[in-house]
Amino acid sequence: MKKRIIILSTFALLATSCDDGFEKMNTNPAAASQIDVGYKFTSLLLETSANRYVAWRANLIYGSTMIQHFAATAGYWTGDKYTLNEGYSASLMDTYYQGCAKVVQDILNQLDQEEKPDEMKAIARIMRVFIYHRLTDMHGDIPYSEAGKGYSDGILQPKYDTQESIYMDMLKELDESAAALGSGTSGFGAQDFMYNGDQAKWKRFAYSMMLRLGMRMTKVNAGEAEKWVKKAIAGGVMTSNDDIAYIIHTTESGLNKNGNGEVFSADGNMRMSKTFIDFLTGDPRLDVYAQPGAGGHKGLPNGYDSGTLKAATGESNLDNYSQPNRSSGTGITGEDDPMFFQTYAEVEFLLAEAAVHGWGDGDAAGHYNKGVTAAMKYLSLYGGTEIADADITAYLIANPYDASKGLEMIGEQVWAATFLNEYESYANWRRTGFPTLTPVNFPGNVTNGTIPRRMIYATGERSRNKKNYDEAVARQGADNLTTRVWWDK
Amino acid sequence: MIIKHILRPAALLLMLVGFVVAQDTGTIYGNVSAEDGAPLIGANIIVVGTGDGGTSDNNGFYEIKVAPGTYSVRAEYIGFASNTVDNITVAAGQTSQADFTMTTATLSGEEVVVTALGIQQKTKALGFSLTEVKGEELSLIKEPNAIEALQGKVAGVNVTTNATGGAGTSRVIIRGNSSLTGDNQPLYVVDGIPIGNRNEGSAGMWGGADGGDGISSINADDVESVSVLKGGAASALYGSKASNGVIIIKTKSGRGQKGLGLEYSSSTTYRSLDEGLLDYQSEYGSGRGGAKPTTQSEALDNIAYAWGAKMDGSQVIQWDGSTGPYSNHNNLKSFYRTGKTSVNTVALSNGGQVLNYRFSATNLDHDDIMPGADMNRKSFSLNANADHDGKIQAQINVKYIDEDVNGRVSMSDSPKNANYSAATFAPTVDVTTMTGVDGAGRGEDGKELRISTSPYTTNPYWAAHSYINTTRKHRFINSVSLRYNVMDWLYLKGRAGLDHFTINSQWLTPFGTAYSSAGSMGETEKRLSILDMEFIVGVDRDLMAGLSTNSFVGVTRNNVLDESLGVSGSGFVLPGINHVNNLKNKDGWFGYNEKEVGSVIGSMGLSYNSFAYVTATARKDWFSTLSFPNKKSPNNDLYTSVSTSLVLSELLSLPAAVDFAKVRFAVSTVAGGASNPYALSLSYKLWDTQHLGQIMGGINGSTIPKLDLVPLSKGETEIGLDLRLFESRLNIDLAYYSNKTTNDIVGVGTSQASGFGSASDNLGQIENKGFEFLISGTPIQTKELTWNVSLNGAKNEGTVVKTNDIDGNIGLGTPRTRNIQVIHIVGESYGLLYGQSFKRADDGSILYDVDANGIPRAQKGGYKILGEGVPPLTIGISNNIRYKNFSLGFLIDGKFGAKIFSGTNTTAYWRGLHKDTLEGRESGLKVSGTDAATGAAGSWTVSPENLRFYYSHLSEIAEQFVYDSDYLRLTNLRFGYQLPRSIVEKTPFQSASVSFIARNLFYLTKNVDNIAPEAAYNAGNAQGLEYYGLPQTKSYGFSFNVKF
Repeated sequence: MKKRIIILSTFALLATSCDDGFEKMNTNPAAASQIDVGYKFTSLLLETSANRYVAWRANLIYGSTMIQHFAATAGYWTGDKYTLNEGYSASLMDTYYQGCAKVVQDILNQLDQEEKPDEMKAIARIMRVFIYHRLTDMHGDIPYSEAGKGYSDGILQPKYDTQESIYMDMLKELDESAAALGSGTSGFGAQDFMYNGDQAKWKRFAYSMMLRLGMRMTKVNAGEAEKWVKKAIAGGVMTSNDDIAYIIHTTESGLNKNGNGEVFSADGNMRMSKTFIDFLTGDPRLDVYAQPGAGGHKGLPNGYDSGTLKAATGESNLDNYSQPNRSSGTGITGEDDPMFFQTYAEVEFLLAEAAVHGWGDGDAAGHYNKGVTAAMKYLSLYGGTEIADADITAYLIANPYDASKGLEMIGEQVWAATFLNEYESYANWRRTGFPTLTPVNFPGNVTNGTIPRRMIYATGERSRNKKNYDEAVARQGADNLTTRVWWDK
Repeated sequence: MIIKHILRPAALLLMLVGFVVAQDTGTIYGNVSAEDGAPLIGANIIVVGTGDGGTSDNNGFYEIKVAPGTYSVRAEYIGFASNTVDNITVAAGQTSQADFTMTTATLSGEEVVVTALGIQQKTKALGFSLTEVKGEELSLIKEPNAIEALQGKVAGVNVTTNATGGAGTSRVIIRGNSSLTGDNQPLYVVDGIPIGNRNEGSAGMWGGADGGDGISSINADDVESVSVLKGGAASALYGSKASNGVIIIKTKSGRGQKGLGLEYSSSTTYRSLDEGLLDYQSEYGSGRGGAKPTTQSEALDNIAYAWGAKMDGSQVIQWDGSTGPYSNHNNLKSFYRTGKTSVNTVALSNGGQVLNYRFSATNLDHDDIMPGADMNRKSFSLNANADHDGKIQAQINVKYIDEDVNGRVSMSDSPKNANYSAATFAPTVDVTTMTGVDGAGRGEDGKELRISTSPYTTNPYWAAHSYINTTRKHRFINSVSLRYNVMDWLYLKGRAGLDHFTINSQWLTPFGTAYSSAGSMGETEKRLSILDMEFIVGVDRDLMAGLSTNSFVGVTRNNVLDESLGVSGSGFVLPGINHVNNLKNKDGWFGYNEKEVGSVIGSMGLSYNSFAYVTATARKDWFSTLSFPNKKSPNNDLYTSVSTSLVLSELLSLPAAVDFAKVRFAVSTVAGGASNPYALSLSYKLWDTQHLGQIMGGINGSTIPKLDLVPLSKGETEIGLDLRLFESRLNIDLAYYSNKTTNDIVGVGTSQASGFGSASDNLGQIENKGFEFLISGTPIQTKELTWNVSLNGAKNEGTVVKTNDIDGNIGLGTPRTRNIQVIHIVGESYGLLYGQSFKRADDGSILYDVDANGIPRAQKGGYKILGEGVPPLTIGISNNIRYKNFSLGFLIDGKFGAKIFSGTNTTAYWRGLHKDTLEGRESGLKVSGTDAATGAAGSWTVSPENLRFYYSHLSEIAEQFVYDSDYLRLTNLRFGYQLPRSIVEKTPFQSASVSFIARNLFYLTKNVDNIAPEAAYNAGNAQGLEYYGLPQTKSYGFSFNVKF
């Protein structure tokens, strides 16, 4: 008996199958090993349109105030005063790689593995360009060729590519993608809720993005700019407001909502900038964009806190300043309002600029007029009534295109048309210098009283990707708000 | 499966055998007492070589029925030397007496302590360091989380507590940290069953509430003893769960009770804000640029800026439009209340020869100093034992805990965190004007009474009273065990236990909250079940002359099932009805995790002539979490230990002053980590929302999975010396250990740009070397006066040897200020504070740029190591003085060598609340340093109206706010009076005592102002960060105890 017990227990010791059923137990019952690529693509469109976190920080707190669309006296509206909040400044980089760059890489990998049609890959590649152009425009040199590949290629610490090389690759990507697109409906179908799978519209978006990126190089490399602008025009850009690349938002959850709209729900501190209200005076867009303060429309000057504002203007009641138009349904601040990637109006303004440079059809005034018209008409997408043709005509008569200051007028109109897409507004101002903005000089600003030229890198990079970060900083210049990105040199 | 097949029939068999009762023929009886004649209750009496035995009752009396014969009878009692009486002859139907006078075992090493798997061993046989703490040391403190009482008591055990009040979480670290990013807290084993000690939610960079931990469920009044198994050799039998040490808690039983006994104890303690720590400025009021607010809008804007004018008591417009005096308000004192903790315990015990039990019920009521934060915990415990002539021993432990917590305390970021608001108001602002129409910060419109232009500056009354954050926990910790002594040298033992709890939590951000006006709420139910089974076959016999063995083999299985379900959403259909059914948009979820470890264990102990001991253990664990189809690396690992003890005092002729001397040596490998299921491959899930009718989904999680993970491995070598001198008036216990963790699973530092937050790999390595000492003595020992003093201390040197493939840094956490991180750097100590520094000239002076407004702005020197977050040196000094029936005990504990980053002081600087910001308010602040432009020494005066900008810039530099966290604190104080026997005899009581108790009365030394030196953020590995937790409190009160 005793011996039997001892033998039995010895057997137990030697037993190696203490793991029956463990493989099954360790399979997540709540997750799948793969999902339909279209599910990912729908999600990607919303993620790219961006959430509240980044809309608040990069787009509004910094973008909208640096470019003087908005102004705010609250101290945390750091872009208004050129002070530095590292987290806010780095917010696009902090969120966009995980939210978008990884996803688009995963989509591209899956499309390859599943040998999906080229047009689906082309659409994903266009989205990839869109994501990275926004990132590089804000930060300069960024991880690009090795980015988003943490799982697929095991690259945990991607190198930073120069903005120049990124631009060249993005333009190549757009070129190849546009070429791969035909007509009819793509494999994404309605899962691509932006264009409903319409390949022709994606193609025009690809060339319109090529036009945007090509034009971005006017300062740094006019030759390349001309080459790509011409190529884009030849390829066929957006031709009407039907072609606008924009995201329809709904209110089911944070992911569905317009990130800007969520900010407007949570934060009442922004006011229309004096610079912008002054420009919009006499413009039919004024009451679409803005709602008047207690005594009518009045813009808040940038660069003040409540104390210095009072000292400078005698005003202490912020209710006296114009706010963004918060009217339910017809205003621009709704959580279900659309978000725009690129509008037809912008494209027309780019064509007008191309004409000025002699790279287009020479009809700068015509494109200017079409741009202004489109920029006013497309606002009905926010839910209000379309601006009447008569009002547009009257505006154009009052503000006719003047070739002697063509670039300035075009720049101002781009600025007015890209309200709330502050990434683009900011990039265009840095490149063209228009509209002419008067910088503020708030005590404690970190730019020596100049408008910031870029946003800083994600702070985690200093430690988590130190070698590549250091290399990028050594190459590009200090990681601060005043270093200029490549195309801004 | 094999294990299950063995366990089940064996357990059944054992239960059946239990009902077979042997015949009795004679009786051995007697009394067990201490040297002073006091009866020893619950001593084990063993009739050597028979398996018969019993325990002594309330009067120290025992009796054991035995077959006729001549026996040796041995008495054992924890803390005393075992004692044997030989040649007791018993005839049939007759009785024989054997009395025992037990001597305190400290002289001899014969005292018995609880070791791994609940095995009792004599201390002289131990080849490793083990510290046993008596239950009363926990119960005397009257802290809701009893484990906090270990702080300062055990060398090498470092306890920190979150700054979140009584319902908060503790962090217990033994011999330094074993894992870079994994859990570093020990395994808790209660009555043989590993219990869950998960942290149910904590504050991070963006705020959050402390959801409490698992160990806090243990009722201090039920604890008999706590064994701290510090090193790998002590805990090796727990294998892959042992890398952080093991704390074994044994609860009180009815063993030794003769007849019915009743005990009642009650305590009430009060806690209040420790105002001695607070030193904010009280001279300048709300405003900016040296001016008082002149409009309500300005008052609102400046509610948390104290850059105004010098207080003069004049009538000034307030945030609410009223006028009030421009004078100092002690807002923290006004806002917080006096907390109260009441603990009432009734314990009933009864015992006979075969059966004994103890039943207890405890009610704990705790009101924290944060208004609206309170808890109630009811604990019930039943321990029953049956002992059939020492042949069959059965034990059942049932615990039920019902814990109800309201107002779990938030910290860190502002919204929801009343601590933040209350501490950041300018001193001329009166917090008591913010109570609103209902005392809960509600305005006339039913919404949050806004007290600032920023929606993120929460009205503290709204945060405390209108938000809801409650948890209700129902927990059972049950175990049954059965031991069958087949022969006097052979036994079978089975044990099964279940720790099961359900936590229902509810949170509400009310409708009308400034930053989230629609409101939101959620309900969550978490269920955790830990099922643990163990079966062992053991041998305890003499092998040959002088050589004996105590060995066993066995199998165990541990299954953890973790489920959670919840619903949450935003927007109320009918504002005011705070119920999830009334939400406009809501989502539900269900989480499910299951994992299991199957093990084979074995231990062989040999002893030679009571002076040389060797114990070898082995355990092989199989992990479900490492099992996956097509995985090539093994899903199991083997852990071993060898420990030896040599009693020099029995081996050599030592000086007469040496009563006992022992050296010990042990080597071990244990493991930890690899505890997350489903972590080996990438998976996808669908989002719980669609968009325009389209399904959405994506990658599940943000960590890059790795298929071939293994658990971390920890090897340790330990040596020790145990010396008892001068008739045990002076005892010295020394230990040195050196351990190394390899294969630590680390979320390797991953760039944002990889698309993932982190990646896992077996790359981490840490070394810990340390020295522990316990010097205890009895300087005075007379009949009337005894003074016991002990000093324990530990120095741990932890070094991060390897972090990842490129030995890059690993970030652990960042506070809301985002100018500092807790980080691991290869070659440095564990958990460094790594933050924005000053840029300095060669002579060490700070380099300044002077901006357009003439403000000197310190140049930033980039991120640098600013200190380590975990104190390497800890000490505890205990004193117990007894004079006649009076006793006085106090504990001083201290920690040294670490730093803390204070987010509170950072904010207090830029808001002008800190005392340091007073300088220069009238005539400007002179700043001296080196002019970065010229390289020459410079000196500038910041005008009073620019001070705010100067400090605002300064507050971006973390170095300014990193302080020494060294401290020495009077942690516990107790003054007690025991009713003399002469009086007690005239009462129905057997004994009665009353005590004054106090905790955290004051700091003897500390270096940081306004905050406690260890105001922890959370119980994670990123220690050394502070940001607006509950302020430090001190508590004091009375307790009494009577026995019937």
